[in-house]
Amino acid sequence: MEKLFLPPVDKRLLGLLVRNYAFKSDLKIKWVRPEKIPSIKPEKSGDLSQMPSIDKSQYLLEFRRSKELETANDLVKKLFTLEFNPQKCTQKTYIKDQTDKVKSHQLDTESQEVRLARWTSQIRAWQEIMERFPRNKVLKVCLKELIEKRKKHLKLLRKEDYKKFEWLLEQLDVVFKPHPPKYHWITRKESLTKLTDKYCENLKQDRLDALRMKFEDEQPAFLEEKIRTLEFIQKEQESCGAEVTVTREEIDAIKKQLEELKAKRVVTEDY
Amino acid sequence: MALHAASKTSMLLGVCVPSLKRGASKFKIKRLELDMNLNMYFPKQEYVYAHDPSNLCKTGDIVLIELLPKKLTQLITHEVKEVLYPMGDMTCPLTNKKMTGIKYRDHIAAVNKVYGERPNAYNYEKAPPRGWQEDKKDFSHRETYIKYHEDGTEQPYGV
Repeated sequence: MEKLFLPPVDKRLLGLLVRNYAFKSDLKIKWVRPEKIPSIKPEKSGDLSQMPSIDKSQYLLEFRRSKELETANDLVKKLFTLEFNPQKCTQKTYIKDQTDKVKSHQLDTESQEVRLARWTSQIRAWQEIMERFPRNKVLKVCLKELIEKRKKHLKLLRKEDYKKFEWLLEQLDVVFKPHPPKYHWITRKESLTKLTDKYCENLKQDRLDALRMKFEDEQPAFLEEKIRTLEFIQKEQESCGAEVTVTREEIDAIKKQLEELKAKRVVTEDY
Repeated sequence: MALHAASKTSMLLGVCVPSLKRGASKFKIKRLELDMNLNMYFPKQEYVYAHDPSNLCKTGDIVLIELLPKKLTQLITHEVKEVLYPMGDMTCPLTNKKMTGIKYRDHIAAVNKVYGERPNAYNYEKAPPRGWQEDKKDFSHRETYIKYHEDGTEQPYGV
């Protein structure tokens, strides 16, 4: 019953004691929402290099060994170059060049490294097309799915053969970042909480470092004082004929510690 | 009857998971727990920290860890005894031959020889030990997070 008849509390005082829902932090932390990067962009897919420009005067892949083409006239020869054929043929040439770099034997077409190289070059070719035609929805979906497939197979290769996985990352110039443990929406409140935690951690660390520096500065003076005091105690005990509790080794050890400390300081100052 | 908690068992087999602690590694330990009502076993995961001053364990390795007689810190209760199965570098327990997935590396090399080896193909003998791409192109040794703030600095573990 007593609770019902509590004396009236000053509202201003209550505001100081209780953090209600309108509580706002005084810290001047500015939160900037990260810009959304589409999953098909190289920054997100992890591709560090783009599709290079390919020499268009090359013959088509199928006719490179043709003997008839060698004896044909210049106009016919031109018709069989990449310049006078669809973009698809240039892509094919690029994919072949890339897979040839990682092939384990002459007829290798289905090993993990060749498949990953093929997908990577296809992704880069499609990324270049998407730059030119951003409204191509069908290609966008295909590209996204291929990027995800490559990531999955890189993950599997990592488990099966870590050394080959690292070699392949270097060869293909791709960055591998695993999925985060949980996918969630980015909200202002949660981000500010994290930033405040980070701020507090840094503040704590800075203060600890400052305190450590202060103690380290005081260390030589303290050790000198300690040596003086111990020597005085030793002398007094000897003169009074009492049991000597302070040994010479103890004082020498502190002197050595002091010398080491001074030497260390000289080295750090030189740097 | 429920099993003893993982933290009380003297020897454990755990999978190394990413952690920020220095001089210690974090391990995921999976054990089966009996549900008395259903009379069925269900997997239960626990995480423990083990003392590892020389950084023997890498993410994904299967490691044998031992309970310390006295806790090192409030978190570190175990000690790394042996790395049994390093991730991505399997050895067949029957023949002691190195494997890739479900194939022996010898067999793969023999097949490559028959079809004609290529000079720039991957070579196991010349390959450097695991970890040379860490923080360069491979960021899997740490846990990633969704980028929540743009402060102008590079965030290698932000996705």
